[in-house]
Amino acid sequence: MVLEHAETLPLEVWFPLALLKWLLVLGGVAIAGLMVGWLSVAMRRGPVAGIRIVGRLLAATVGDILHISPRRVWALSWLAVRESIRRRVVVVFAVFIVILLFAGWFLDPGSTHPARLYLSFVLTATSYLVLLLALFLSSVSLPADIKSKTLHTVVTKPVRPSEIVLGRICGFTAIGTLLLVTMAAISYVFVVRGLSHTHELTDDDLHAVQHHAQGQPAVREGLTSRVHRHRHLATIEPSGRGRIAMEQNHWHDLEIEKSDGKTTYKLSRPRGMLVARVPVYGTLRFKDRDGKDSKKGVNVGDEWTYRSYIEGGTLATAVWTFDGITKKRFPESLFPKGLPVEMTIEVFRTYKGDTDDPENIPGIPGSLSVRNPATGEMVEAVIFTAREFTTDVVYIPRRLQTPDGNVLDLFDDLVSDGKMEIWLRCVQPAQYFGAAQADVYLRARDASFTLNFIKGYFGIWLQMVLIIGIGVLFSTFLSGPVAIIATSGALVGGVFSGFMMRLARGEVIGGGPVEAFIRILLQQNLVSDMEPGMRTTVAQMLDVVLGYGLYVAASILPAFGEFSFADHVAYGFDISGAVILKNTCRAAAYLVPLFVAAYLFLKTREVAK
Amino acid sequence: MQSDVVIETRNLTKVYRDFWGRQKVRALKALDLEVRRGEVFGLLGPNGSGKTTTVKLLLGLLFPTSGQALVFGRDATDVTKNERIGYLPEESYLYRFLNAEETLDFYGRLFNMPRAVRRQRAFDLIELVGLGWARKRQLKEYSKGMVRRIGLAQALINDPELILLDEPTTGLDPIGTREMKDLILRLRDEGKTVLMCSHLLADVQDVCDRIAILYQGELKELGRVDNRLKMKEVTEVRATVLDQSAMDEVRRVVEKHNGEVLSMGNPTTTLEELFLKIIRQSEEHPGRRVRGVNIGDRGSGMGIRE
Repeated sequence: MVLEHAETLPLEVWFPLALLKWLLVLGGVAIAGLMVGWLSVAMRRGPVAGIRIVGRLLAATVGDILHISPRRVWALSWLAVRESIRRRVVVVFAVFIVILLFAGWFLDPGSTHPARLYLSFVLTATSYLVLLLALFLSSVSLPADIKSKTLHTVVTKPVRPSEIVLGRICGFTAIGTLLLVTMAAISYVFVVRGLSHTHELTDDDLHAVQHHAQGQPAVREGLTSRVHRHRHLATIEPSGRGRIAMEQNHWHDLEIEKSDGKTTYKLSRPRGMLVARVPVYGTLRFKDRDGKDSKKGVNVGDEWTYRSYIEGGTLATAVWTFDGITKKRFPESLFPKGLPVEMTIEVFRTYKGDTDDPENIPGIPGSLSVRNPATGEMVEAVIFTAREFTTDVVYIPRRLQTPDGNVLDLFDDLVSDGKMEIWLRCVQPAQYFGAAQADVYLRARDASFTLNFIKGYFGIWLQMVLIIGIGVLFSTFLSGPVAIIATSGALVGGVFSGFMMRLARGEVIGGGPVEAFIRILLQQNLVSDMEPGMRTTVAQMLDVVLGYGLYVAASILPAFGEFSFADHVAYGFDISGAVILKNTCRAAAYLVPLFVAAYLFLKTREVAK
Repeated sequence: MQSDVVIETRNLTKVYRDFWGRQKVRALKALDLEVRRGEVFGLLGPNGSGKTTTVKLLLGLLFPTSGQALVFGRDATDVTKNERIGYLPEESYLYRFLNAEETLDFYGRLFNMPRAVRRQRAFDLIELVGLGWARKRQLKEYSKGMVRRIGLAQALINDPELILLDEPTTGLDPIGTREMKDLILRLRDEGKTVLMCSHLLADVQDVCDRIAILYQGELKELGRVDNRLKMKEVTEVRATVLDQSAMDEVRRVVEKHNGEVLSMGNPTTTLEELFLKIIRQSEEHPGRRVRGVNIGDRGSGMGIRE
């Protein structure tokens, strides 16, 4: 599996420019807002009164935001929490427990990637429940207060609208956080317990596979008992040490005890199942079949153009350039086998061999070479066999031998200024390897899975706070049901903002919304051109207009998918601090204008109308 | 030096419009009003006359279409003025999932009051409104009168200088009504300013120093209650009970001075007085049926036209 995220740049690189851009956008929106406000007042009361009123509002805004009282915000937050409890938020928790109970029946711990299945499930279930709860709570609270007039008793106290908005946001965030933390704790236990298992192994399961000289003990092998629909191959060496082979992406430690002439084998809980790999990504470029530089590889006709392909048996190569490769980062004590390279190579076959026995279709041989980008020195490091849908782990030895017998040191001879290239080639002619930038990475170390799990929930928390901000904003000027619909629209739009942007730019096959609708009505396929004529022209013109709207919406709405770290956790990749920081900044960049806009809507609203 | 004028409206007008900006109703028309420090001011008028709209404009719950509403010399939309104001809405719009103590603590926090002050003030006010026995009960379990009382307590949590009461006696029983009126008078004696709006004329008459009568959004009458209600063409004499000969003699004296006796006999009291007396006696002698209560036995009264 690959995550399509490129490595995040450090904060000092992107932040200054992003901050400047953010300030410019906000400044532009603020000026436009002031102009609209002035125009609307000026039309009724004249231009001078317009300036006076808008100026007064501006001064009040600054005052109301600067003079926020923590005690009042605390009181209003506490009220929001009490109100949420009254609205039976605990029901959501009950639903979550019921879902987990059912999931215990249906989730298969014997699947190929059980950890992925379990983690995806709990993260998705929590995410949906918490986001829906945040949506409903934040959208209906203020309209309900206005409708029941309880807000009259609050706003006639020295409470600023900014405090009401902030109190709501903080209160709902507090209750959501409490719920999320509880769900995370239960989910963690659910995943760990659900995946935990061990196998039995007895002397009867083992048989000698390799005979030494007479009288010497032999290597023995055997299969463990079947648990979670799999068995492991156990190997007991003559020295008495044993190991358990990897199966379903995990292994077990084996402890052998001998007492009273009886040997007992004890397998530990699964190892390597719940991980948080820290990858070091490189940048990818290609060389064509003649060995010349090329922007992309071959297109094999795959609709998903994420990967480019290189042809086997030619000079076509996928080249990754890695930076920051030092002995200190990969010390021999921790990486005795060499530099660990993990890769998920897509295989495109022009012929398949014996397809009646899918498990025995042979893999496609490939080679990895290491090249020093400064000196051009290159040596073939690893020959491997690539299979579809599997992640291979290979090690580049610390010392490599060239065809002419010279021994090169990986770090001294093949790395220059921390830079190193890995060249991937497909050896078998007429077969293809597909590769994308994130397909090959160096596994620098493993971070704590528990911490990564918490980071995954932090991503859900960020989304929840954003939804609360949007919900509270809409609730300041819309009625409850309309605010729910608007917030839901923002959520759905945000989730699909990437698609909306591609639609706005005309990058989606089948045209814009109107053209696509006509194609559905006329049962036309997506790729053929529409019949020229008035209808097509009008549809395409409408799509252009709609495209502008989609562009604006996709630019404004937060891309919720990018705040989700569920894939990182499920696929066992560490969520880096840089990613966390970037997404936290992005959430804050949304929350500040959401708060100010909500304040202004409430400030200019006649509460008793 | 503090200004003597606490509330001032200048040409205050409110027009309600529909979604499209079309005029629906002109709720208040060019109201000019002044309420001075230390007086109980009554806003009178039938339903829909603009009383509540005026109060909402003074509190900043509504914005004026034109004109100005000033409270303590500040614009009514300025929230800082609320630090010196207490407001009891027409119906007590309180959070029904809180109990009495939590309610007062919450509103105390909104005034930025320290914890100790808040607690003491909440305790005193709960006792004042007679809800000490129900302080831990959620408001959803309260009767209408109890909610009204706790509503009054929240209006006084900040020891306000100006108290706005919208239909203060609505929902209260006669005892509660009397206590509310007594409290209003006590607040006035403490130097506070009270603005109340009501259509219960007897209540207004009992407590207000000055009144304004609104009708269809326009100010129709403004002045002191005692001046406005004094019947200058009638003289009233009240005496302890007289026998028939004494009454005839009084009649002759009146006629001698060219007056006309309009009525003479035992005056009736109000039902409120009767009710309160029965309750008082019942409390003094629990379990005994109150008999023979006749509040009108205190004397005779007569009205004379001069």
